[in-house]
Order: sequence, then C-alpha cells, then structure tokens
Amino acid sequence: MSMEENKIFVDSRGSSCPGPIVDLAKAYRNSKVGDTIEIWATDKGIKNDVTAWAQKTGNQVLSIEDQPDKVVVIIKILKR
Amino acid sequence: MGKFGMIVFSGTTDKLMSVGILSQAAASLGEDVEIFVTFWGLLNFVKGDKKLLLPKEFESFGPQLLKSMQEHNVKSWYEMIKGAKEMGAKVYACSLACDLFGFKKEDLDPIVDDIVGAATFISNTENGRVLFI
Repeated sequence: MSMEENKIFVDSRGSSCPGPIVDLAKAYRNSKVGDTIEIWATDKGIKNDVTAWAQKTGNQVLSIEDQPDKVVVIIKILKR
Repeated sequence: MGKFGMIVFSGTTDKLMSVGILSQAAASLGEDVEIFVTFWGLLNFVKGDKKLLLPKEFESFGPQLLKSMQEHNVKSWYEMIKGAKEMGAKVYACSLACDLFGFKKEDLDPIVDDIVGAATFISNTENGRVLFI
C-alpha cells in the first residue's frame, strides 16, 4: 500500500532551547519515510541543533534559511 | 541509540533546570534517558508544590530570572521532565535516599517511575554517558 508523502509544518517561533528540537521530535514521531518537516524557529541554537538531530536520527536537512525574523529549516525524513 | 543518564543529587531549581533541558534535548535525539534522583534532589520529587530554591550566592537573581524565563517561554523543570518522559525518559528514586528521608513510593511524585538502587541505575546506563548534577 503506498501512502502520500506529507509536508509537516512546525511553528516553534518564540520557543527557547530545547523547545524547537522537542517540537521537531514530536513531529518526527507522527511522520513517515518520505515526509518533509518544515520548522520555523527564533532560537539561536536551531541551526546547529537540527544538524545534530538529523545526523543522530539518520535524517536529512534539505535547507536552512536565515530570514530577518526567523530561521526556516526543511528536513526530509529518511528513517523511522 | 545512545544512553544518557543523570544522577540528580542537587536540590536547587537552577540545577533542576539543567536536568529538564538536557533530558528533553537527549530524549528528542532518541536517546534512552535515565534520571536517578537522590539526596537533596529527591526532595523535589515528592508529592506537592515545587518551590523555587536558589543557592544563597545567586538568590538575588531569582525574580529577574523568573521574569526572563517567562519572557522566553521557558517551561519549568518539572514540565520539561514530563515532556522527556513522553518521549521515553525514566525517572528513578534512589532507594537509600528514600529510606533516609522516610519516603515510600506513595509519597513520591507520579513523575517517578520506580524506586531502585544505585546498581540498577549503573547497570541501566552501561556504555552510556552519565552526568552527576
């Protein structure tokens, strides 16, 4: 049975460390292989933290974009 | 996945904040998190209200710190440990400390999974990293 690949959106703006990573981990639990998770955050640690998270959990960071008011990270779920 | 253990010996809120933050971060990375609460740390894991307690030399920072934590949406250490538990973290109370303070399982906060000895904690965290806080 094939299932559609989903885009999951997580808004962690205003949440301090380790809030964004906790939110990401929660979204990850409800995701499946092939999904992408887009996370918005204002915490300064997010860029390094998502990279560490992806490395540790075997998933892929597709992009990290600095915007004036937030950082936007897109992650591809490769492993569940 | 790795194992991340913490021996929580200290009973002040600042140290417990670290326990909350690290337990949530480690659990988010998929690590097996084990928190072993003992001595002064254990006093925060009995039923009842959690008091703000800072070391004497930093007491004057208390009000400002609380305000700043609210502004930054930082959760309480208790909420953070609860969050880590939702991702599989375990909290164990030290059996010796329970004996010394006269606490039984029913006196402990529901956040505590069980009362165990030091040997169980050491065995559970074998080949993992353990912090003494």
